[in-house]
Amino acid sequence: MRFRILFKLAARSVGRNARRSALTAAAMVLGLALLIFSRSLAEGAHEQWVTSAVRMGSGHVAIQEPSYLVSGKLEHRIGAKAYQRALNAVAAVAGDRVVAHAPRLTVTGLASSASSALPVRVEGVDPDGERIFSDLDEKVVDGRYLQPDDRLHAYIGVELARRLGLKVGNRFVLTAQSASGDVEGQLVRVAGIFKTAIPEMDEGLIHIPIETAREWLGTPGAITTHAVLLKSSRDTDGVVEELQDRLAGDSDLRVLGWREASPELDSALRMDDYGDYVFHSILFAIVALAIMNAVMMSVLGRRREFGVLQALGLTGAETGWVVFGEGLFLTVASGAVGMALGFLFTWVFFRDGLDFSGIAESESAWASAGGIVDPVIVPIFHSSQVLLSLYFTLIIGTLASIYPAMRASKLDVAEAMKFDQ
Amino acid sequence: MVADAVWWRIAWRNLLRNRGRTLITASGLAFGYLAAVVIVGLTDGMMAELIENGTRLMMGQVQVHSAEYRPERNMHHTIGGYDGIDLEAFLARIESHPDVTAAAPRLYGGGLLSSGDETKAGLLFGIDPEREQRVGTLLSRLSDGRLPEPGAYEILVGVEMARQLELEIGAEVVVVAPASDGSMGNDLFTLVGVFETGTPAIDANYAILPLPDLQYLMAMDPGRVHEIALTVTRAWDTPLIASSLAASLEDSGHAVEVTPWTELRPELAEMIDLMDAVNYLIAAIIFAMAIFGVANTMLIGTFERRREFAVVRALGTSPLGIGRTVVYEGVILGAISLAAGALITWPIVVWWHNSPLDLTSVIGGFSMAGSQWRPILRIEYSYDTPIICAVALFLTAVLAAVYPAWKATRVPPADALADR
Repeated sequence: MRFRILFKLAARSVGRNARRSALTAAAMVLGLALLIFSRSLAEGAHEQWVTSAVRMGSGHVAIQEPSYLVSGKLEHRIGAKAYQRALNAVAAVAGDRVVAHAPRLTVTGLASSASSALPVRVEGVDPDGERIFSDLDEKVVDGRYLQPDDRLHAYIGVELARRLGLKVGNRFVLTAQSASGDVEGQLVRVAGIFKTAIPEMDEGLIHIPIETAREWLGTPGAITTHAVLLKSSRDTDGVVEELQDRLAGDSDLRVLGWREASPELDSALRMDDYGDYVFHSILFAIVALAIMNAVMMSVLGRRREFGVLQALGLTGAETGWVVFGEGLFLTVASGAVGMALGFLFTWVFFRDGLDFSGIAESESAWASAGGIVDPVIVPIFHSSQVLLSLYFTLIIGTLASIYPAMRASKLDVAEAMKFDQ
Repeated sequence: MVADAVWWRIAWRNLLRNRGRTLITASGLAFGYLAAVVIVGLTDGMMAELIENGTRLMMGQVQVHSAEYRPERNMHHTIGGYDGIDLEAFLARIESHPDVTAAAPRLYGGGLLSSGDETKAGLLFGIDPEREQRVGTLLSRLSDGRLPEPGAYEILVGVEMARQLELEIGAEVVVVAPASDGSMGNDLFTLVGVFETGTPAIDANYAILPLPDLQYLMAMDPGRVHEIALTVTRAWDTPLIASSLAASLEDSGHAVEVTPWTELRPELAEMIDLMDAVNYLIAAIIFAMAIFGVANTMLIGTFERRREFAVVRALGTSPLGIGRTVVYEGVILGAISLAAGALITWPIVVWWHNSPLDLTSVIGGFSMAGSQWRPILRIEYSYDTPIICAVALFLTAVLAAVYPAWKATRVPPADALADR
C-alpha cells in the first residue's frame, strides 16, 4: 500500500476541513480536559483524606501483635522487649520516607462524670512524639495538649466534654478492664479539649500520657500499636515490605499497611474511585460517540471525493485507511490539546487548592471513614494517570474511526461518481 | 408564507433520509439520558441509605427532650425534671397530634458490661419494645434470639459486643452503671438476643434494655425518660410539624424542646444538599457533552444541505422558514431520543431497584458524615429526576439545533447555487 500518499491525503483532509476538525476536536478536548481536572482533584482529595485519617489513626504503617487487629484486646499487646525490636526495625528502614513514629497503648473503657457516663477509646500516647505525629494537638479549642511531664492529664474531644459536662481542670474517671482482668478506675483531669469535626473522635477519643495508661492497666513498658507516619501514602507498600522482611520470623510483631489496618477507609476510597470510574466511562462513551459521529458525517458527505480517489486508482481498503488516518490525526491532535488545556487550567487556577467550603457549612459533612477532607482541595498529578488518560483517548479515537473507515472502503464508485446526487 | 405543517414534514423527511445519522445522534442522547438517570438514582439510593441508617434506625424524625437536655445530654435532665412525668398521659398527648404517627420513650445510660472474664464499656439504651418498633428499625435487626420482656432483666447487645464479650444467647451479663443518686447500680441480666445493624459504632457499643429495668438500675422513677422519639406523617415537612407540636405541648407544664432530625443531624442534611449539587453538576456535564454531539451532527447536516436550502430560498421562502425546519428537526430528534431513552432506562431502573448490586464481598462499608453506608448499589425511585432529565434532554436537542439553524438562514442562495 502507498502509505505515504494515504498519510498525506488524511493529513490534508483534516487541514482542509478546519471547521469540521475543530468541532470534532472541541468535544474531545473538552472531555479530556474535564477528565484531567476531575482526576487530579479526586487524587488530591484522597491524599488529604488518607493523611488526615492515618495521622489521627494508626499511621500509614502500624506494627501490632498479630491477633490485635481482630480482637482489639489488651491481652494482645506488644511487651517491652518486642517493642524494642520494633523500634530498631523502624529506625533501620526509616530514611527520609518516614516523617514520625509513635507508640500507642489503646484501650476501650467508660468515661464517667457526675452527669453522664460514655464508652470511649483511651489512647496512651507519648506527648512529644504524638505532637509531631498527629495534628490533634493543633485542633485544641480550650486548654493545651499533653506535655512530657504530665501524669493525670487527659486531652478529650469537644463533644465528649459537653456530654460529660467537663471543662479544663475538671476531674473525671476512666474505667476499663486491666491486663489482670480486673476492672480498674483511673482519675484524670482535663488538660485540653479538641475539635476535629469527625463525630467518632470528638465524641469518643481521649489521649492520656502512655506512662499513666501503663500504670493504670498494669502493663509496664507495653504498647498496642506502634504507628509510623510516611511522607506520602504512595510509599506505604515499600515500607511495609521492608519492615516485614526485617521482622520476618518475629512471631510477636505484625506489620500492617493502612489499607489493612483501616479497612473502612480503604472501602470508602475504593467506592469513591468506583464512582469516578463510572462517571469517566460515561464521559468517554459520549466523547467516543461525538468523534464517531463527526468522522461518520465527514465520510457520508464526501462520497464524490472518495469516488474520485478510487477512480484514480486507490483500492477500497486504501480509502478506508485514509478515513482511519483522519480519525487518528484528529484524536492525537485534540488529545494533546485537551490534556495540555486540562493541566494548564488546573495548574493556573487551582494549584493552591480549590475551595469547596461554601457548599457545606458544617465541617462534619466532610468527615468520612475516620478521616476528614479539607474543603480546600489541592489537585495532585500522577504521571501514571496522565499516561492512562492518553492511552484511553487513543483507544477511543481508534475505535470510533473503525466503522466510518469500513463504510468508506465499501463505496460503490460508479454510484458515487454520478453527477447529481 | 407556507403553512407550518410543511416545515415539520420537511424536517421529518430529512431525518428519515439520513437514517444512520439520526440513529447515532438519537442513541447518543438516549444514552446520555440513561446515564444521567442511573447516576442520579444511585446517588439517591446512597442518600436514602445514609438517611435510613442515620435517622430511621434509632433517631426517629422528631425528638422531644427536656429543654435543658440538649446539647449536654446530662443524665439528670429527664423530661419534667427530677419528678418525671406521667408517661402514658404524655405519650397519649403527643400521639393525639394529627401529624404524629408513633411515639417511643427512651432512657440513655452509660455503663460497663461484663461476661465474667471480659468487661467492656457500653451505651445502655432503655426502650419500650412494643412502641420502639413503631419508631425505629433497630429492633427489627435481630440476628439471633428474641426481644426482651420488661421486668424480667433481659438484655440485647450488638453482634460486635457479643463477640468481644464472648457471649451466647442465654448467658448472664453483669451491668454496672452510675445511677442518678450518685451510687453505682449493678444487676444481673440474661442475654436474650443479638442485633446487627452493620454500623460498627452501634454493633459494638449498644446494649438494649426494657425501660423499667434501666430506670431501676439507674435509680430513676418510672416517669423519667430522656427522650421521646416520633415518626410523623410527612417526612419532608418535619421542621414544620416539630414547631406545631412544640406549640401544642407548651401548656403541658413541662419545659420541653421539640427537634426535627434536620437539626439533630445538620451534617447529614448538608451532606444530602451537597450530593444534590453534585448530581446536578454530573447531569449538566453529561448533557453538555451530548449537546456537542447533536450540534455537531446538525451543523454538518446543514453544510451538506447548502444547495437544498439555496433552492428553497430561490423559490421564495424566507430565511425564517429554513431556520424553522432545522429547529423542528431538533425537536423531533429530541422527542425520538426521549422515547428511546425512556424505553431503555425504565426496565434498567426497575430491575436495578429490585435487585441491587451487592458489593459487600468486594469492599466493606464505611461511615459518611456520621452515618453508616453499606456497599449495596441501589437505585432509588424518584419522580422528579426522570422528568428533570427528560426536560433537560429535550432542551438539549432543541438548543443544539439553534446554531445550525442560524447558520442555515445565512446561506446565500445565489452563491450556493452557483457552487461558489
